[in-house]
Amino acid sequence: MPFKFISMFLCCLLLFPAQAAERQQPKLGHHLTPQSEAMHAPDFTLEDIDARKYSLNDYRGKVIMLNFWATWCPPCRRELPSMERLHQKLKSSDFVVLALDQMEDSDQIFTFTGDIGIDLTFPILFDRDSSVARAYGVMGLPTTYLIDKKGNVRFRAIGGREFDHPEVEKQILQLLQE
Amino acid sequence: MPNTINARLAKIICLCLLYTPAQAAEVTIHKIEASGLLTWTAKDDGFSVELIQLNPDFVRAVYGKRDFPADEVERIADYCVFGTIIQNTSQQQLSYRVADWRYIEKGGKSNPVKTKAQWLAEWRNAGITFAWTLLPESGDFGIGDWQQGFTTIKIDRNETFDFIYTWTLDGVKHEGKIPNMSCAPAPLNQPQ
Repeated sequence: MPFKFISMFLCCLLLFPAQAAERQQPKLGHHLTPQSEAMHAPDFTLEDIDARKYSLNDYRGKVIMLNFWATWCPPCRRELPSMERLHQKLKSSDFVVLALDQMEDSDQIFTFTGDIGIDLTFPILFDRDSSVARAYGVMGLPTTYLIDKKGNVRFRAIGGREFDHPEVEKQILQLLQE
Repeated sequence: MPNTINARLAKIICLCLLYTPAQAAEVTIHKIEASGLLTWTAKDDGFSVELIQLNPDFVRAVYGKRDFPADEVERIADYCVFGTIIQNTSQQQLSYRVADWRYIEKGGKSNPVKTKAQWLAEWRNAGITFAWTLLPESGDFGIGDWQQGFTTIKIDRNETFDFIYTWTLDGVKHEGKIPNMSCAPAPLNQPQ
């Protein structure tokens, strides 16, 4: 088991490798792209680390930030703390964050959450075969969608972002007021 | 007949106006001191590309960890693999297609860059579905969007090549070039 954790940790350093870590990654921006074509967010039911089931339709009437990510993905790791700060700030409103991990297992998530140094308090769900990612047309990680109260995808971000930026918060508050 | 020729000429001229050939992008090369590996960064008008040499053992580690069959691990490790970061630095939507990208060998032979879809089609036969590591074969980027993943090039590890990439911005297809790129060296105990 310790070997498994060590190997997972090493893989968390990969893509890109420690050898490339000294290179600066792109700065995390805050622009979300409005979706011109109406897309109704496909429903799904996925489990979290405790095998508790979550369905998107359970959150109808709320504004949802839907994030597709993986533990080995550097920009995913960089943006998660800002997502947690945003979640903490808006958790008393009708705003929820759902983070859909791609093709990993509970051991990998357990190791990652221990390693990241902050508690992620929003649901982390397992999209084990990436079928939900395919349904949303996700091409790469991370990709994040903002879904309005009626279940329509309204904004998209490809690549890492600072989600607790005031501009993002403003867009969410506008969706909450609709 | 002359009208037909004129129409064809007009069409060709229009296509030329909508395409800008390989420009001398602002290319910087960075050597990672710890490993000696190289990184090329090309900044064009509205689009940037960064290619990071990855050594074969690193590629083996990535795919071995993912439980890829040993022969498939070796097959991709035999490619010249680059960690790739692409970014929309414009204030508009842009798109890219890896299928339009190519690399030119020193003798002038132009080759297409293998796409994620092509890898997936081959891997499917081996029961592999995990392909998140590879650079997506295409994308429509909004302002601030960026993406990263592996780019794979089939070339002798000792050869140098020019890398040609394209992107479409405001209906105009642009082309950039990174000259004299090279693969990460194979470990010393392996045939070069």
